[in-house]
Amino acid sequence: MSQMLSPDMTIAAEAIAGKAKIEVKNLNFYYGQSKALKDITLSLPERSVTAFIGPSGCGKSTLLRVFNRIYELYPKQTAEGQVLLDGQNVLDRSQDLNLLRTKIGMVFQKPTPFPMSIYENIAFGVRLYEKISKSEMDGRVEQALKRAALWTEVKDKLNASGLSLSGGQQQRLCIARTVAVKPEVILLDEPASALDPLSTAKIEELIDELQADYTIVIVTHNMQQAARVSKQTAFMYLGELVEFDRTEKIFTSPREKRTQDYITGRFG
Amino acid sequence: MSTATSLHQSRKRKNSVMMTLCVAAAGIGLAWLALILGALLYKGLSGVNLAVFTEMTPPPGDSGGLLNAIYGSIVMTIIGVVVGTPIGVLAGTYMAEYGRFSKLTTVVRFINDILLSAPSIIIGLFVYELMVRPMGHFSAIAGAVALAILVIPVVVRTTEDMLNLVPNALREAGTAIGAPRWVVIKSVAYRAALSGIVTGILLSIARISGETAPLLFTALNNQFWSSNLNAPMASLPVTIFQFALSPYEEWQQLAWTGALIITLTVLALSIFARSLTGRREDK
Repeated sequence: MSQMLSPDMTIAAEAIAGKAKIEVKNLNFYYGQSKALKDITLSLPERSVTAFIGPSGCGKSTLLRVFNRIYELYPKQTAEGQVLLDGQNVLDRSQDLNLLRTKIGMVFQKPTPFPMSIYENIAFGVRLYEKISKSEMDGRVEQALKRAALWTEVKDKLNASGLSLSGGQQQRLCIARTVAVKPEVILLDEPASALDPLSTAKIEELIDELQADYTIVIVTHNMQQAARVSKQTAFMYLGELVEFDRTEKIFTSPREKRTQDYITGRFG
Repeated sequence: MSTATSLHQSRKRKNSVMMTLCVAAAGIGLAWLALILGALLYKGLSGVNLAVFTEMTPPPGDSGGLLNAIYGSIVMTIIGVVVGTPIGVLAGTYMAEYGRFSKLTTVVRFINDILLSAPSIIIGLFVYELMVRPMGHFSAIAGAVALAILVIPVVVRTTEDMLNLVPNALREAGTAIGAPRWVVIKSVAYRAALSGIVTGILLSIARISGETAPLLFTALNNQFWSSNLNAPMASLPVTIFQFALSPYEEWQQLAWTGALIITLTVLALSIFARSLTGRREDK
């Protein structure tokens, strides 16, 4: 168990192509007294999709929620260690959380449109940090909606409530909203698990396009989804990072027996 | 087999007994309400005329209206709500947002629940000691303060409850986009909880517009027109109280009419509040 990071695994991690955008070093996480993440170390390459897979409660969502420190909304949740974004530790006390969150966007499992119009849902985030004219804002909204492949469906009803859209559309609205503030990293916490297969396919297509510009981290229960969308995959189990490698390697010839058992459906 | 059938039969019997009791209880409750409304309409409606809304409360044996009382009720209710609502909403916001996990919230909630069910006459006595005695005379402003103190716990409670109904996922989403806490509260949580919070405010108006006891100790009453907040002021409930107890027929008639006006106002406010919540549930 303590031999989590075997020497050849470190080599494998280095074999993952690309410059690191986020580097996690010896990260521990606690819910009160209970330890939810155990000494996690991994690095996520820039402009690429990384998937976190593992059974429920393995800590994959927890790890994601450390990256933008959203866990700090709740008491008694603490993180130790380092999470470097472009070399800067986001767990630093001096880190401005609101600025951090404009750089690291997040989309949640359940679609969470704000209780306002489609237009305002997107303008809301932009307005927080930029003062731009109405016409520029119109452009930003259109661009973001196009980016999220939602423009053609909503362009005639931008003033309708965001809540009036279907689940899949709402989720794409949330992605558009996240993209509109021009983040560098996008965290997706099971973004398609509440959606039907067609909407899921659209979201996955979208993720594929977005990785040209953004570093994307996706947590998913669905192993096929991880295999389809990601370049590298981390398998987590009981708060530990069991294996992290290129996605095809994880799904074809994993080094760890536990990974093998999980992806072949023997547990989890 | 036969035991099973008899068990089934006895359950059915118990069920019908239970159901009869429940329906009867609901019927009795409704019947009183209908009787009260009926009596008010019957006795009050005949006294409704233009003079009620244009003339002052008359001396005994004379004819007149309720203008000063209606005016006083509106003024003190408005001041009470304007003073009480911000305090209530802010306190509820603290409890549901900033202080959700703090001990202080538990303490405030407990005290607020006591305040919510405190007899209003005690609030009247409290304000009497606090304002009327030091000032040396009864005043409309003391009445308004007493009403504000009655507004606060209602608004605190509904604001906290409604904000607690806003899903955390929505707050996380607002936070995740880089919005500071207060923007998330103002633009996301308030917006999601708006109809509920407004309902709470409307219900608090409905509650204080019929309060008599706290005004008896504070604003007292005034037979004449007065818009001076530093002087005693008439109000519908206190006027009804005084006139209904009097032996004069004109006064009694005005008391019935005043009671009808208050009841219909409160009814309208409640229906409006209901329609607001109803619309939210439709979504």
